[in-house]
Amino acid sequence: MVEIAQGLLAGFATALKPLYLYYALLGAILGTITGVLPGLGPLGAMAILLSFTLSMDATGAMILFAGIYYGAMYGGSTTSILLNIPGEAASVVTCIDGYKMAGKGRAGAALTVAAAGSFVAGTISILGLMVVALFLSDIALRFGPAEFFAIGVCGLLLLARLSGGSLLQSFIMILVGMALGTVGVDFLTGTERFTFGNVELGQGIDFLPVAMGIFGIAEVLTTVEEKESFQTVQKVRIRELLPTGQEWRRALPAMFRGSLLGFLIGLVPGPSPVIATFVSYISEKRFSKNPEEFGEGAIEAVAGPEAANNAAVGGAYVPLFALGIPFTPAMAMVLGTLMLHGLTPGPNLIKEKSDLFWAVIASMYIGNFMLIVLNLPLVNVFVSILRVPKNILMPVIVIICMIGVYSVNSSLLDLLLLAVFGLVGYILRAEGFQAAPLILAMVIGPMLETSLRQALNITGGNITEMIFRPICLSLYILASLTFFVPLLMKLIRRGKKRTPAHRERVLG
Amino acid sequence: MITNSQRRHKIIALFLFGFSLFYFLGSFRLKMGNLKNPGPGFIPVAIGFFLVAFTALYVFRVLRGPSSTGKKEMPPARDKNYRAIAGILLCTAVYPFILEPLNFIFSTLIVCFIMLLLLRPGKILFSFLLSLAMAVGAFLIFARLFGVGLPSGFLEVFLFRIGGPT
Repeated sequence: MVEIAQGLLAGFATALKPLYLYYALLGAILGTITGVLPGLGPLGAMAILLSFTLSMDATGAMILFAGIYYGAMYGGSTTSILLNIPGEAASVVTCIDGYKMAGKGRAGAALTVAAAGSFVAGTISILGLMVVALFLSDIALRFGPAEFFAIGVCGLLLLARLSGGSLLQSFIMILVGMALGTVGVDFLTGTERFTFGNVELGQGIDFLPVAMGIFGIAEVLTTVEEKESFQTVQKVRIRELLPTGQEWRRALPAMFRGSLLGFLIGLVPGPSPVIATFVSYISEKRFSKNPEEFGEGAIEAVAGPEAANNAAVGGAYVPLFALGIPFTPAMAMVLGTLMLHGLTPGPNLIKEKSDLFWAVIASMYIGNFMLIVLNLPLVNVFVSILRVPKNILMPVIVIICMIGVYSVNSSLLDLLLLAVFGLVGYILRAEGFQAAPLILAMVIGPMLETSLRQALNITGGNITEMIFRPICLSLYILASLTFFVPLLMKLIRRGKKRTPAHRERVLG
Repeated sequence: MITNSQRRHKIIALFLFGFSLFYFLGSFRLKMGNLKNPGPGFIPVAIGFFLVAFTALYVFRVLRGPSSTGKKEMPPARDKNYRAIAGILLCTAVYPFILEPLNFIFSTLIVCFIMLLLLRPGKILFSFLLSLAMAVGAFLIFARLFGVGLPSGFLEVFLFRIGGPT
């Protein structure tokens, strides 16, 4: 406990330096803007800004990204409530009741509850992050390659199950991502793999052009697909922002429940903020005394999911800080940033770079506070960004993506890869493939390969020894259960539907 | 009758299968090693094998028809701006080839101007002025403010000197 308090104090001393405060503010503003703009989520913003963090130190870059992530969650709720447009996927649920509340003249109250929920969740998840990440990193120090391989395999299996869309498509994306991760010189033997004699490819396919292409350029292409449409933006008066006592009484418990749920779901691989909002909405409806109000403007349906998506952000940082394994695409970006700054994420990071860890934690508190102070009074300013015509905004994003990719290695090959993966991302999106598994597998794949080869070397090729280690076995059982139980349930349900008794019941 | 969307599904599925096959066969050129001492081809062969298996299954599903992929056929797309999509993609693909010969400002101006023209047809002067502002603004922000090294000629050097040393 003393260690946590000391670390946190040191973190605040660092995060309160003017330069880091500026980065936190910049991240919060940029995050809110990207959250407000439909399509361009936190991932796109991080991808675009990744290369520009090179001019900062690692702590500054991490503070900026934490601000963007939280800010996007705040910004997404604003357009959901006022315009019925989810700024990003995690705000879809907020549209249902938030927009209904706006229709009843309670837009201000919904915005305040969403912001307060996000603040409460941010604080709770940061507390959780501190405790769980420290605890887990201590345990992870005892992990060997076999355990890291097991964690990676479980992560990818869960990702395939949870990332939405068809399971087969998710597996294909994971394998394509892993295949891309094998391009370059093999670090153990120095053998070139799939480089076709190209010197630049010897260093491997950089994560940045792939991520920017798939999330940035593909997003632009999807957006310009449709003709321009203008939004009528509703104004919110400052004096309308305060919820009534009754509204607070209903919203507060939902915020705490949403925070807890969100944090726990954030620990699981996949699009955790999105899943957290849906789970929170369903559980709030189940526990509510007035379930009939859900869908008609229930304040719990705004408070719970908004808290859940913010708490999931904190939860998602745990596996990255404690194990060095990203479980969400946004965390893969954060990992990429750490690696660009010469840091190797893993259990040792918290011990060796404790100043960075605590500064990021402290900056999350500060960022959350900044967001609540900034966002409510400036809600009309942020919403007015939607008035910028997208046919001006989109070329700007393309140019930023191109400069961003070029600035890291001054490589023309990276620029070509950006174009190629922009096209690939656009086609895959149109075909219903999820891009997140590809990106994550591309990052986790090389780690998996290293762990597997090291583990096989250590055990002398004994696979059973690798599987039957206590932690590995527990992880494999857990992953198998999570993976196969829903499949079995589906098969059982399908079997039941085919029985003559069921057919009779259905047909009357 | 085969719809455009069904044809597209089939092409994509076959392309994915082709890629998988190419990767799988390519991985055999690498040393596999053995379980005790896995070589550089050990993981690629495993990835390739599963990739071929899964994409073959996907091709099979797609060829069997829309009901087997679980996808509902979307109504035909209305008013999609394919010209803009192709134009933006082309701009992104051409940019690497013109960036160094033409230097940053001129190449960015060209690419930006084409994209704006595709998205706002008819507004030539406006698009040109906006592109110029974007190219110069981007150079000043990224090269001067963020210190990004961008290909420079006399125009860039002149702009870089404005306002004195950074």
